[in-house]
Amino acid sequence: MTEKDSRRIFYFMSLNLTFMMIQAFYGYVTDSLGLLSDSVHMFFDCVALAVGLFAAVASKWPPSERFPYGFGKIETLSGFGNGVFLILISVEIMTEACERIWEGRETKRLGELFVVSTLGLLVNLVGMMAFGHHHHGHGHDHGHSHGGHDHSHGCNGHGHGHDEKHDHSHGGHSHGHSHDNENMHGIYLHVLADTLGSAAVIVSTILTHFWKWSGWDPLASFLIAVLILLSSLPLVKSSARRLLLTIPPEIEYNLRNTLSGITGLRGVVGYAAPKFWIDDRNAGEATPANKLLGVMHVVAARGADMEDVRDRVRNYLLGHNIDVTLQVEREGDTSCWCGVGRSPLSASHRVTHSTSIF
Amino acid sequence: MATDDGLASGDSDAQAPKNPFNFQTQFISTGPVKSHQIFQEPPPRPPPVLPASLPIPTFKEAWASMQRDQRARLCWCCCHAAVAMYVFFSAEGSLAMTALSHLVFFDVGSAAVCVAVDVLGNFEVWRRSSIRHPFGLQRAEVLAGFAMSVFLVFGGSISSRTTSSTFSRPSASTPRTTRPPRTSPTITAAAAATPTPARYVSPGTVDFASLAAVVSTLVSAYGLRNHSRIRRVMRVPFPYLASLLPGAGILANPFHFLTLCFSFLLLLLPLVSLAHFVWLDAVICAAIAASMFILGTRLAVAQGLMLLMSYSGLPTTTTISSSSTNPSSKSKPFPSSSSSSFSAATTTTTAATTTTTTVSSVVRELESEPHVARVEEAQFWQVHYGLAMANLKVRLARGTGSGGSDDGTLSQVRARLARVVQNRLGEGYGRGGNLRWEVTVQTCSDG
Ligand SMILES: [Zn+2]
Ligand SMILES: [Zn+2]
Repeated sequence: MTEKDSRRIFYFMSLNLTFMMIQAFYGYVTDSLGLLSDSVHMFFDCVALAVGLFAAVASKWPPSERFPYGFGKIETLSGFGNGVFLILISVEIMTEACERIWEGRETKRLGELFVVSTLGLLVNLVGMMAFGHHHHGHGHDHGHSHGGHDHSHGCNGHGHGHDEKHDHSHGGHSHGHSHDNENMHGIYLHVLADTLGSAAVIVSTILTHFWKWSGWDPLASFLIAVLILLSSLPLVKSSARRLLLTIPPEIEYNLRNTLSGITGLRGVVGYAAPKFWIDDRNAGEATPANKLLGVMHVVAARGADMEDVRDRVRNYLLGHNIDVTLQVEREGDTSCWCGVGRSPLSASHRVTHSTSIF
Repeated sequence: MATDDGLASGDSDAQAPKNPFNFQTQFISTGPVKSHQIFQEPPPRPPPVLPASLPIPTFKEAWASMQRDQRARLCWCCCHAAVAMYVFFSAEGSLAMTALSHLVFFDVGSAAVCVAVDVLGNFEVWRRSSIRHPFGLQRAEVLAGFAMSVFLVFGGSISSRTTSSTFSRPSASTPRTTRPPRTSPTITAAAAATPTPARYVSPGTVDFASLAAVVSTLVSAYGLRNHSRIRRVMRVPFPYLASLLPGAGILANPFHFLTLCFSFLLLLLPLVSLAHFVWLDAVICAAIAASMFILGTRLAVAQGLMLLMSYSGLPTTTTISSSSTNPSSKSKPFPSSSSSSFSAATTTTTAATTTTTTVSSVVRELESEPHVARVEEAQFWQVHYGLAMANLKVRLARGTGSGGSDDGTLSQVRARLARVVQNRLGEGYGRGGNLRWEVTVQTCSDG
């Protein structure tokens, strides 16, 4: 799936690059500032595309010592960066447009502008076709799901390792884990912004040709900027939430139930410092949706076998799709930083506890 | 030192049992019934649980919670922003001035991030972990830093775009500077067609805009001590300046340094003639653009690595690492491909050479501990500026901890591992930020 993505990005980047060089060449020959400036813009588009391509490729890299949870977040990060960039661009365009309406500067060189932006529009329409399909049809074209998500976990959680290598290449059915590819979304939005920008220039040039009012172009760019801003806000929000390691509400509900069941396990007295985050290694591939990784400290009752407790809790959590690194502490052991043993053990504790609820 | 930190934060985590939710009480009563072990203490302990989620403060609550100095900081941020606007709007016709205004805007932004972080720190949701936000909201600081770095790159790209179009047509008079990207052909052409006179301050007069930039930056850096805060947040690996002038305060924060440098340059700009002005203006703009670009990408990489849940090892000086308890410090020099190699190259004149304590060296050290046979899995990653996690799966040596006979040993081994990690990677020694390590050890014995 991502091979397809990165190939798409690569093709579009090559197209952009070629077009940029042609534009720069003609701009230099004809001494056209519009062409030159547009080719510089194209250069930055290529940089953004290169970042997106890198993210798409790197997201497949395996976890390493330095990146213990792989590169699943890199596409989200790229999407976030792209979104912030777009917001900044639209703010800049808006201030510029306001200034120009205020000053009423005239637009000249209409013919040159028309040609430049028509070419830009053509290139970006190609991009729209490449990325737009992906963006909208994310659920559809990889739709056929295959069943077998059975992952028999060994004691150490290595058991499901081989499962991922089978490259089923079609994610769990219809994206239940709400993993929209933020990288592709960001690229799509950028291309969309550029397309709309070119279209706005064309329309405003035509309008200026017929009705001599200098405000057409700033007005058009202002409207486009508002559109870009509004469309990139959701992207920034969703990717920020993922980068903050927020647990989505629907998972949170299940997680709460799962956690409250832990103290019911035999030999478990309590637990502390539970921290979970979504595993996005190989996101969108054969891994089951909404798999969680995490860390927890568990207190074993006096007399209970520590290894026993460890396996029991781990298997319980694995059954709920949570792979956890589990530290088992003995009841009464207060040495750990999590402070689980440090709460008072007196009989009055329960009373204080019940009064302190809210 | 490290254990103090651990205790301090442990207390904040230990607050969790004090107010759990209703539904857990039911399990408290069922817990001991199910386990048929012998209990010395009949009253069962409530399980330490997390709240499902903590309320995120609204704007109003945040405003109400602000203390006096926080409010003063916010006020100053507004003043600083006004200065930035002033610089931006008085930049008509000057490329360098517009680029400088981007730098000032960046300073405003980072100061605002500091204030926001300060104010959010008044609330529980910032620090305390809940199920929805397992690490509180403190990672938002990193995210904001990343967004700020995108702003730097953005400013750099805009400035370079304008500069390049100026250089391509040196005969044309300096066009209006800020130019939005894609919709720009119109604007560019329009600006080129209408000859705006270059912003030119007559010799002998003072350029108020750049003066305002200098003053506001100085006030922000020293008057409000934003300097060190921003340095902590925007911790960018910037070894060149630091190694050139170690201990120089202003250089430690490259952003204030840049703003000051360039605004001083622009203060001097009115002294040159008009012909030189246009040329110099473009050159300074290019310089600002380039430095914004370079700094922005470095900053973005630094923050992005943290957001990717990674840990890249701790650069230390050998004087410090040799003074630590373990004689066989396995810190090896940074490979030449890494970002800190410059500092290793430049600090050869001084006594301390920069090396790095890598994760693998720490893991090797952990494996050399008694009772530890093997570290099977080690996941080290940094959550935010103040917290990192080490999740270890350790196989104990034969005969340790099996059967629950020697709990004390097990707990000692765990404590020792945690101490090694904190000592090696804790950034303790006067490096400003103090990184706390939460170490979780899953043990597994051979028996
Ligand atoms: Zn673009
Ligand atoms: Zn613990």
